[in-house]
This record gives sequence, C-alpha cells and structure tokens, in this order.
Amino acid sequence: MTTDIAAPSAPVRRGSRRRRLSPQRVLLHVVLVLSAITMVMPFVWMILTSVKTPAELAQFPPTFLPETWDWSNYPRALEAAPFLTYFRNSLIIATGHTLITVVFGAMAGYALARVQFRGRELVFLGFVAMLMIPTYTKIVPQFLIVKFMPLFGGNDILGQGGSGWLNTWWALLIPGGLSPFAIFLFRQFYLALPKELEEAARLDGANEFRIWARIYTPLIKPAIATVSLLTFQESWNNFLWPLLVTSRDDLRVIQVGLAVFQQEGNTQWAYLMAGTTLATVPMVLLFLFAQRYFIQGFTHAGIK
Amino acid sequence: MRTTVRKGLGGVAVALALTLSACGGDAGGAGADAVDGEVAGEVTLLTPIFEGDTGKQVLEEELLPQFYEEYPDVEVTIDYTDYGSLNEKLTTSIASGLTPDVMMMGVGWIEGFADKGVLQDLGEVGIDLGELEGEVAQEVLNAGIWEDKLYAVPTMLDTRFGIARKDILAEAGFDGPPSNWEELREYAIALTERDGSGKVTRAGLDIMTLDPRQMFEVFLFSNGGDLFNDEGTEPTFNSPEGVEALEFIVQLVREDKVEDIGFSSTDADTYPVINGRAAMMVGHNDVWIKVQDAAPEVADELVPFMINGTQEAMFHGGTLVTVANQSQNKAAATALLEFLTGPEASLAANEQRGNVPARAELLDSDYVQDNPMVQFAMENLDKAHPEGGVPEWLEVRGEFGSAIEAAILGQKTPQQALDDLAADAKAAMSR
Amino acid sequence: MTHTLSNRLQQPDVLETGSAGKSRRPRKKLSHARSQRRAGWLMLTPALIHTGLWIAIPVLATLVLSFTDYSVFQPPSWIGLTNYIEIWNDDVFRKATWNTVVYTFFTVPFSMAIAVVVAVFLNKKMRGRSAYRAAFFLPQVTATVAIAMVWLWMYNPQYGLFNGALAFFGIPGQAWLANPDWALSAVVLVGIWQGIGLKMLIYLAALQNIDENLYEAAAIDGASAVRQFFAITLPMLKPATFFVFVVSIIGAFQVFDLIYVLTNGGPANATTMMTYEVYRSAFQNFRMGMACAQSVVLFAFLLILTVVNRRLTGGDEV
Repeated sequence: MTTDIAAPSAPVRRGSRRRRLSPQRVLLHVVLVLSAITMVMPFVWMILTSVKTPAELAQFPPTFLPETWDWSNYPRALEAAPFLTYFRNSLIIATGHTLITVVFGAMAGYALARVQFRGRELVFLGFVAMLMIPTYTKIVPQFLIVKFMPLFGGNDILGQGGSGWLNTWWALLIPGGLSPFAIFLFRQFYLALPKELEEAARLDGANEFRIWARIYTPLIKPAIATVSLLTFQESWNNFLWPLLVTSRDDLRVIQVGLAVFQQEGNTQWAYLMAGTTLATVPMVLLFLFAQRYFIQGFTHAGIK
Repeated sequence: MRTTVRKGLGGVAVALALTLSACGGDAGGAGADAVDGEVAGEVTLLTPIFEGDTGKQVLEEELLPQFYEEYPDVEVTIDYTDYGSLNEKLTTSIASGLTPDVMMMGVGWIEGFADKGVLQDLGEVGIDLGELEGEVAQEVLNAGIWEDKLYAVPTMLDTRFGIARKDILAEAGFDGPPSNWEELREYAIALTERDGSGKVTRAGLDIMTLDPRQMFEVFLFSNGGDLFNDEGTEPTFNSPEGVEALEFIVQLVREDKVEDIGFSSTDADTYPVINGRAAMMVGHNDVWIKVQDAAPEVADELVPFMINGTQEAMFHGGTLVTVANQSQNKAAATALLEFLTGPEASLAANEQRGNVPARAELLDSDYVQDNPMVQFAMENLDKAHPEGGVPEWLEVRGEFGSAIEAAILGQKTPQQALDDLAADAKAAMSR
Repeated sequence: MTHTLSNRLQQPDVLETGSAGKSRRPRKKLSHARSQRRAGWLMLTPALIHTGLWIAIPVLATLVLSFTDYSVFQPPSWIGLTNYIEIWNDDVFRKATWNTVVYTFFTVPFSMAIAVVVAVFLNKKMRGRSAYRAAFFLPQVTATVAIAMVWLWMYNPQYGLFNGALAFFGIPGQAWLANPDWALSAVVLVGIWQGIGLKMLIYLAALQNIDENLYEAAAIDGASAVRQFFAITLPMLKPATFFVFVVSIIGAFQVFDLIYVLTNGGPANATTMMTYEVYRSAFQNFRMGMACAQSVVLFAFLLILTVVNRRLTGGDEV
C-alpha cells in the first residue's frame, strides 16, 4: 500500500503492511488521543464554564460537567458591550494585517533567501534582532510616532498640534501590519526550495518579481497558510495596542470588549468564557480551512 | 547603507519627538491656571470604572444628561479603560502630551502624580476643602491630599475588614465575631478543620484570598502602625507595630495552622467563606454582591467585623477624580469633577460594583441600607486607613507582596522581610 | 550544479541564443547580477520601511532611553550607566534572569522535540489526522486566561489532578504554584505544553516540501523508519528548525502573559521573568529608563544566543 511506503512509517513496517491494526498503531493512537485530550482540555473547560451558573461556579469542589446548561449566558454576554461592532473591527484589522504581511513579508523573505546581494546576511540578522525587544518597551515610542504622525489628525508638517493617527484606522492597521517573524518564516521556506528552479528561470530572462510571484510563491502554500493563520491570530488577540490608540468605541476590538468581564478582582467567568468561546470560533474555522493547504507542495519529477 | 541612514534619522526623530512632547507639556501648565466664570468647551475624561454597555449607559444616558442640564456648553469625550490598563493609558497619554482633562485613578496614586506636577491643585480652582470635610470622612479625604493641598476627591471606595460566618461560629459555640486579635486567634484555631490526611477542609481564618499587601495593611493599621511617618520621609511599616502585625499573621499560618499555603489564593473565583471552606476571612466589601450571585442563602450568615489589635481599623482603597494640571479647560474639568464626586454619580458608580460611597449623606440611600457590608464600611469610615503616603508608593507597593509572601513562607523572619522592604523603599525614595 | 542544466539549455531547440549567446553570456551575467541586486533591494523596501519606522526606531529609542531617567511625567534626563549598575546589583532582576534562562532552557528543546515527532506522525495518512492536528493546535487559539485556569485547577493542592494522581500512589502532594521550590517547574511544564502547537504547525508545513521520493529510495535501500527520520527528515528540516529554535528562544525569553495569569511572578518572586520586571519598571514603577535598560539586557542575551547558534549550526542552507 502506497500510504505506508511514501511517508516515514511507524517503527515496524512488516506488520503494518499486512494488518492495519498492529499493536504499534494502536499504541500510537492511544498516545495521540491522550495527548490530544490534554491539548483540548482548556478549550473544553472554556465551553463548559460558559454554560454554568454563578452559583455552580462557586461550588467546592468545582464541577467539571455543568449541572445545568445555561445557554442564556451567551446572549447576555453579548449585551454587555457592542460586540458586533468589535467583531467587525477585529475582522477588518486581522484581515488587513494578514494581507499586508503575506504580500510584503513574502517579498522580503524571498529577497533574503534567494536573491544575491551584499549585506543580505546583515539585513536578515537585523530583522531578527528587531524581535528581541519586549512589546512593553516599544509601546510608548510607537504610540508617540502614531500621535506625532505629520499631516494627519490636525498635525502640521512637524507632527505638532493634533492627534495624528490616534483614533483612526491607520493606527490600527499599519503599525502591526508586518512582523519580522513572518519575514523570517517566509525566508526559511523559500530557502528550502531547490535552486534549480530559479536558475532555470533566470537563464530564461525572467526578472526577480516574476520568479517570486510565478514560480516560488505558489510552491510554498503551506507557508502562506501558516503565516496567514498566525498573523490573523496574533492580530485577533491583540488587546493593549487597540486600547491605547483608540478611545472611540466604534474602533475598539473584541479583546477590549472581553476585558469588561474582568474587572478589578471580580471576574464574571461564565460571561467571559462565553464571549471568549465566540471569539475563538473564527480562528478555529480559519485553521480548518487552512488545513487543505497543508499538502505536498510540489514534486521534483519535472526537473529530473 | 539604507538601514544605517534610516536608523540615524530615526534617532533624530526620537529625540525630536521626545523633546517636543516635553515642551508641549510645560507650555500648558503656565497660563491656564485662571478659572474663567464661563464653564464651556470640550473636556476629555479617562475612566477605569463605568465599563461595558451597562456602565456606559449609566454614565452617558443617566448621569451626563444631569450634568449637561447644569452646564449645557460643555462637551465630554470619554475614554473607557479598565484598571489593569490604566497605567499604560496614563503613561502613553502623558508622554505624548495628550493628558486627559479629568482623570480617575486609585488610592495611592495621587502622591506620585501630584509630586510630578501632573495634577491640578483643586484649591486653586474653587474646590473648598473645608466644605468637603463636612461631607466626606477625613481619613478618606487624606488619600487625595498631598503636601497639604487637595489634588483628588474620592468617588468610590473599597474596603477590607473581617467577615465571619455566624452559622459556623455558632456551631462551635461562639455567639459573635471576635472582638480583638486574641479572640481572633482563638476562634480561628477552634474553627479550623482538617480531614484524615491532615489537609485543611475548613480554614479558621482565610487570609490568603486577599492580596497579601492589603491583608498585611489591615493588621498593621489595627496595631496602631502606619506605612510611612507623617513627613513622608521614612518608612514605618517595619516599626515594632508593623513587625508584630506580620509576626501575628505568620504565626497564624505557620504555627497555629489556621490555613495552609495554597488553600486559597488571589485567583480564587469564590471567597471560601461563601462556600463554607472558611469560617472567617479578612476580605472585601464586595463579598455581599458575590454571595448574592453564588449562594444567596448564605448571605444572611455573613457578619462584618473590625480587626482590632490596639485599635479597630480597616483598610480602604478606592477611585478618586482629578483634574490635569495641563488641562486647557479647567473650569469645565472642575465642574465635571464636582459632578462625578457628587451624590448622584457616586451612588451610581458604587452600585454598579457593590462598593462604598465616600459621601456620608449616602448612608441613608436604599443601596447602602440594603447592603450590610457597605453599610458597615460607611459607618466605620473614620477608622479606615488608605495606603500610600509618598510619591514612590506605586514602586514600593510592587515589592510589598513578595516581602509578605517571603515571611509567610518562612524564607525570612518578619523583621527581616520588613527591614529589607524598608531598605528598598528608602532607596526608591532617595532617587 | 548548473552545468547539466545550462548544457542542456545550449541545445538549439531550447534556447535561441545561437553563437551570439555564447559571447554575450559574461556581460549578461553582470547586468543580471546588478538587476538581481536591485530587485532584491526593491523587494525588501516595503519591509525595511515598515520595520524601520515601527520597530527599529522604538528599539533605538529604547537604547537611548536606557541611559536616562525617564518617568514619563518629566522629560528624560541623562544618567549614563546608572540604570545598568542598578540592574547589576538588583537581586530580583538577577532572579528574574535566572528564571528566564531556566525556563527557556527547558521549554524550548522539549517542546521542539515533541513537536517534530508529533508533526512527523501527523503527516502520515491516518484516521482522524485532521482532528488530531486541530487538537494540537487548539492551545494556540485558546485564550491564555482559560489555559491558566485549567492549569491552576490541575495544580490545585486540594482537588487538582496532579495531587490526586500522586495520592493514588501514596505520595503527598505539593502546593505547586504556591510553593517557591516547585512553582518554576510547574510553570515550565505549562510552557512546554503550550509551545507544542505552534512548532508542530511550522514543522507540518515544512514537511510538505520534502520530496517523497527520497523516502521511497531509502526504503528500497532498507533504511528503517527511525533511520529515515534522522537521515532524511531532520536534515531537510534544517531551515524550519533554525526558525523554530530562534523564534522559540526569543518567545521563551519574553514570556509574560502566562506568568501574569498563573503566578504574577510569585510566590516571593519565585517565577518572575525578565519581561515581567520590564513591565513592572515601566508601568508600576513609572521608570521607563530602567525598563529600557532591562530590555537592552534581555536583547543582549538574545542577540548573543542567536549569533552563537548561527555560528554553531553554520547557517541554514539545505
């Protein structure tokens, strides 16, 4: 059977060729199931908590399965803040970030991987070094740049006088739009592709952009899917930046909305979990959708 | 190479931005002190309370219309945040020169902000301290006073005191909560229950659900101690009174074993007194609204009591309202401050969170009369002590928790823990 | 190398360069190289501008501010190396540094190893593969607060899973997260668990581009599955591994959310980390200059680690 030969197989090959359910296979599944359970636990807990009543949540020892399934927590949670607006905003921002990152990140990653030019290694290390300063330190300078953005929000050419990009979509979409993380990832994936492709194309007279867009990028669909997924998720979970650069409610995002349930020392667990579960749904859907791009990128058969 | 040139320009840009923002800051403070007769214009409000749709509704649809009736020419823009992000919000706003006109912040924050010139001296804009002293308890007002000037007025308080389950106490033959430290200890030991394997099933006195610093402060104040001396030049929490307080706490945990480490924590979603896992606790006045949600049948069994070492004392924190020194519109900002700390707004804010109003007149309101914990707190506000006292408080308080934990864990003796903390505090204060 | 290819291409039916092509080749190569360089820089430009403005400038600001005393309310004042000297003498930051190193040292290799093995298995065709993949990725999309609550539950001394399991074997349980001797290990375990999903995803993506024929050939040669893993899979995964390694170390060094929700750096600073101290300096103590200095120290650690790693593994060309 091709399935057993094509991919690296489990420790014993002979047995698995004849009988599907070898003891090794069973063991593999048992281990996977147990591990999967530990991975899924917090998610399951989240959903189970979202349907409990406050009285049940106060019990000791805590119950795992809810005694009553109080689904009304969901509509009630949604009433606590303008979640529909927040959802729309989060969607716009996350999608925007993903598009910017995939396009410009892939371009940059390709340049760093496959285009020969002097200083390439230094630029690459420079990008990676940018990841090494914690967010909390960068956030005040970033805020200042946003506020003093010249010729926006009533600012003059020196950035004085107004509020720059504050309370605008610019502040939400641009600063977080690209991350060296994505550039780095794209670079590694481009590196893993064989040299023969670009050499053939170069001799053909194609320019770099064409090589990048037409030849290399279609081959790294799994990388694009991965970067899209991770960028979307990072953006979706962003809390502090949107809170800081906006004061208008119609610009705020889901995580800011969820913070309503976590007041000083008093967390409304059921509502928080209901809101969080709903907020997680788009990302789970995105993951399942992205799965179909995790397929074999290409075969070498053509070149040989 | 491009990158280096860009970085060079960047450096200049940063320096420029920082200097400009700093300049922008100074300019505002100079001329805008005079308060015009006219109360008009735009003001921005930064608030960590009134969050969510309900809070927003209360503030914008119920309260602000009342404000606008009196001051129709003022326009208020509100920036909502939560307490956890308040620091970040304030920092970025102030750093960029966009300080909100009216800012709400917590007890213990005022000294530092006032000392750095961020806050407006309210006496200069028409707030009469003498008048306030008749309406709000002196100790509570002190939280807003720095170097004899008033910088902030409280709108909402939260308090910490003893809470007991009278049904559990009665079972053990105690007909009321303990009236001093000795009784507290005696009751706690008697009421602690363990199972066969030695694990605590019911703590006699739960002190670990509360933040360790605030819990210690309750005992410190009840022993006649204080955090800093009156001049604000020396820490005094490592005085004999302070050390005694910490020794008392450590003894309760390590020798009398009224609660095991890990039995409860600040993460606990339910106070152990509510579900019977503790007979007494040093806790928060919001236990009332929590018990309504979790176990209303237990509500009537909860009895508040003062912790009494050499004096009865309780801890209070809270939210105060301030006006920015750089505000371009101090008249309107002050009017808003007066409104937010007035009876209607204050009552609404406290009702939303089950907290304690600062204004004495609100004692007779339905809300307070229906909430025994809040009522108890209000009736004893003259024995309430705030934390803070020096501009570096926010820095000192950050290290307080680990000092108390170190003592409870037995890593340091109470004297050592508090002395080390005092040394750190003095270092911060001398910078 | 290119010989076979270019020789083949010299056949008249492939390229129409003819004799003119041969003499034109060197000059074409030169202009090719130049246009390649130009194109390369052009492709990099948007990323350079964006990163330059939004990250490089703040990083530079951090460096400059680390030599100042900046409380945000007043303009920064130059104090030279004072912050750094204070860091050198600060016990708590030293503990935070140690904790961070320990945390990174244990979480990164373990979660990487588990992730690559899981990715390899989940790359084979098997029943329920999509479900397993989704399950392993789920912690990535689950809110940190939910993850923390479940682990707090499992670690709870009274009714948690860990103490329950230990009790089954007659071993007394611990107050894991409240005990300064165990808290860091407890946090490390959560870190390993949480780190698997992302790494697995990247490895899975990278595995897609490994030529299946390589395995076919190896199998025919008689190589066992384990041998194939070490001889084919791992080497072909070098670019991905380099990425995962560097990014994981950077991420582990900057762990914050988990600590904040699980232990708040306690008990008694037993689990405080460098980023946590940066946060405290910046937003609790209002000492931006100090926060910047601490960040620079963190940055230095990471830079050295990355450069050393690069030298040791000799790059990441496949």
